[in-house]
Amino acid sequence: MQSSRAGRRRLPGSVGDALIGLATIAVLLALWEIAVQAGALNDYYFPPPSKLARSLVTLTTTGFPRGVTVFSHIGATLMRILLGYALATVIAIPLGLVIGSNDRLYQAVNPIIIFARSVATISLLPLAVAWFGVGEISRVFLIAYGCSWIILTNTIHGVRVVDPRLLRAAEVLGTSRRDMFYRVVLPASLPRIFAGMKVALGLAFLVIVAVEMIGTVEGLGALIMEARTFYRTDTTIVGMVIISLFGFLLSKFLDRAERALLPWAAGLEEVER
Amino acid sequence: MKTSAFGRNLWLSWIGVIALVVVWQVIVALQVINPRIFPGPIQVLETALTRVPVDELFGHLRASLLRVASGFALGAVLGITVGIATGWYRRLGKVVWAPLELLRPIPPLAWIPLALIWFGLGEESKVFIIFLSAFFPIVTNTYKGMIQTDPVLLRAAQTLGLDGLRLLARVAVPAALPDIATGLRIGWSLSFGSLVAAEILAAREGLGFLVMRGREIGEVGLIVYAIILIGILNLVTDHLFYEFVLKRRLRWHFSS
Repeated sequence: MQSSRAGRRRLPGSVGDALIGLATIAVLLALWEIAVQAGALNDYYFPPPSKLARSLVTLTTTGFPRGVTVFSHIGATLMRILLGYALATVIAIPLGLVIGSNDRLYQAVNPIIIFARSVATISLLPLAVAWFGVGEISRVFLIAYGCSWIILTNTIHGVRVVDPRLLRAAEVLGTSRRDMFYRVVLPASLPRIFAGMKVALGLAFLVIVAVEMIGTVEGLGALIMEARTFYRTDTTIVGMVIISLFGFLLSKFLDRAERALLPWAAGLEEVER
Repeated sequence: MKTSAFGRNLWLSWIGVIALVVVWQVIVALQVINPRIFPGPIQVLETALTRVPVDELFGHLRASLLRVASGFALGAVLGITVGIATGWYRRLGKVVWAPLELLRPIPPLAWIPLALIWFGLGEESKVFIIFLSAFFPIVTNTYKGMIQTDPVLLRAAQTLGLDGLRLLARVAVPAALPDIATGLRIGWSLSFGSLVAAEILAAREGLGFLVMRGREIGEVGLIVYAIILIGILNLVTDHLFYEFVLKRRLRWHFSS
């Protein structure tokens, strides 16, 4: 607690801390390996790191199931996320801009939006299957559904909380309605829209892994579920590590993109989830 | 933060909801889409009342709530404890957070296969998934709240003679409370999302089970009914949490 700076600090992230972290993980992995070799841990329930390394090699060369390598799994998952996410963005942002700039419309549809957002996306899976069958359309639909509400609420909120001083200043300067929208309201609400898109991408990732567990052999969710069906705990765990890495890179990428595209968005903490 | 569902113009909000239900019924009545896979509101209500009698419904609600509450409680207790301990003892924090950071990006539902391997199809694997959904947001937010405590507050308290665990209990933890509350709220809504997925996998009662039964007997009305119930339950519990915990207890932070 001996910070020289007053106020809020960033999460720690210096080189020394990283070394301590890596050392901890290395020690844990070594203990795990030893515990299994000594027979203290069952190697079906807790396959040791050496076995995990071997199954990672198999996964990248021959694949699991045979012929489907880890790269095709990642590609399939990424493709579904991108399709559903793009669909959600295209639908929700324009809709949100319209609803956000019309007070009466907002009042009328808000309860519906709040309700729809509270419905867990996964619970719609059987409904999607009844409508679209057990195919790609169902998966993309569920991602689009889940993401849409988050992007929609954040877009609406972004438009509605634009600083009134900005609006009045623009009005005094004689800005036309068109310019008012494109040059004042839109740029001012973009940080929040982007924040919503970030949360939505996280949700897309969460939803797709679960949805892939049913009716397909391609995709990261399918990989870990199939491996479990064939009693390959090692492959399940390797799949989870890949999912973890994938999720981590995804969020890092979005942070970078946000800083590059919207430098004025720094410090926005409130996001509608 | 979420705004209240029904704002100033109460009648406008109701008109929106009523209009939606009417449009829904009209679309079904026009028979554009096969009503077997797209049932109208009246049909949904009929199916609901014949398939799920009221007393049975309470059984399902209780089963779901019990599951989500036990998983959430486990996640909250462990998450807050670990968050406070690692935020206070910095050395411990560096060691514990390395593996946690590795596990954190894994979506809770991606643990389902491993949960099935470890615990089988029973109640434990469902509670485990819900526990994970609650644990990670709670531990992350608690830790963040702890390490972002204004050092001036701590030094002021130290000057006034507080130290050790008393400094922790009287100053550091109260200062982190708003973040802990945020974590709890996110954890609750994620727990809810996972609940249904866990129940869809295998369960004999609960709302997710109702969704699945609707699918098995090919009764889409039942699926829609169960989905609406899940939404309402989530909305009501979140609202109660916001009103009674955040607004009452943490008035000083969540003022508006």
